[in-house]
Amino acid sequence: MFFYEKKLQYPVKIANCNPKLASYIISQYGGPDGELGASLRYLSQRYAMPYPELKGLLTDIGTEELGHLEMIGAIVHQLTRNLSEDQIREGGFAPYFVDHTTGVYPTAASGSPWNAAGIGVKGDVICDLTEDMAAEPKARVTYDNILRLSDDPDVSDVIRFLREREIVHFQRFGEAVRLAKEKMDQKNVYFTNPAFDKSR
Amino acid sequence: MYPDKNPETDQNLCGDACGTMPPCAPLAVPYVPFQQTGSKRYAQQDALQNGTLFPGLNLPFHAKSQAVKALGGPLAELQALEFVLNELGLYLDTHQDDKEAFTLYQQYAALEKQARAAYEAANGPLTQSATANAKSWSAWLGDSWPWNYQEGGDK
Repeated sequence: MFFYEKKLQYPVKIANCNPKLASYIISQYGGPDGELGASLRYLSQRYAMPYPELKGLLTDIGTEELGHLEMIGAIVHQLTRNLSEDQIREGGFAPYFVDHTTGVYPTAASGSPWNAAGIGVKGDVICDLTEDMAAEPKARVTYDNILRLSDDPDVSDVIRFLREREIVHFQRFGEAVRLAKEKMDQKNVYFTNPAFDKSR
Repeated sequence: MYPDKNPETDQNLCGDACGTMPPCAPLAVPYVPFQQTGSKRYAQQDALQNGTLFPGLNLPFHAKSQAVKALGGPLAELQALEFVLNELGLYLDTHQDDKEAFTLYQQYAALEKQARAAYEAANGPLTQSATANAKSWSAWLGDSWPWNYQEGGDK
């Protein structure tokens, strides 16, 4: 089960509102490579994972991603506080505003609402871990692109932190593949799927 | 068991930002170098600021490399200690035999416990269960929700 901690993993303190920037950053809340998908991907992959240490890794990274989701929500919230009518109309924020006011809704920057089609849970050890190794760089590139677009140092500072976490997670998932491989058929890791073929 | 132990390889030949690979590896499987034991570490505040405990894994992006903001406020120390625990926890998930890292985890866990008690005594509970130590339930409901701009709530 989960308990709530009334704090963020990393401080989010954004002095100036900037709805245009919020309309990009919302993608890491509910976009195809965002933190909601990341947490659900890892936390859902745990059930089929046969190896205890990798159940642990999926749990621990999945839980950290929930903390990142909260940080992204805090960024979007702070960038859209106390908007004037002019600010609502600025920078392409109006389409989001008309649907969600300044609530934080899981959607991609390009407008599609969050969709489980952006994540994979295949129930196969190597396949799921390889999916995770691909997912972390996709999130990292999204953060690269947000850094290119961000003109607010308060925002860039937090995004830089989140981006670095993707690199560390990539490293751990890469190590996880090797730990898994060691427990599998040494001549052919694809001979069975240990997540399903329990007796082999 | 990983990380790869090759007696013919002097670990010092492999820099801190590098990891170990098997000398020969089956085809059609992805390989990431295993992080070595005893990797260099940042102090907790620097770890939080950089987004990793390990200098060898700190790989920043070229754009917007503004000076890293100094983190402050009553929560910063607790956040830094918890960040180190989180980072060491992920490391230990894939390096469970690294006794030195586990000892470090225990030391940071003791520091985190102290810092949490000090923070909660001054600023109120961080969890529902810690609210049992407060005067009333309103301590949990106080407007110190973390997405507010001001730490400890919009005043």
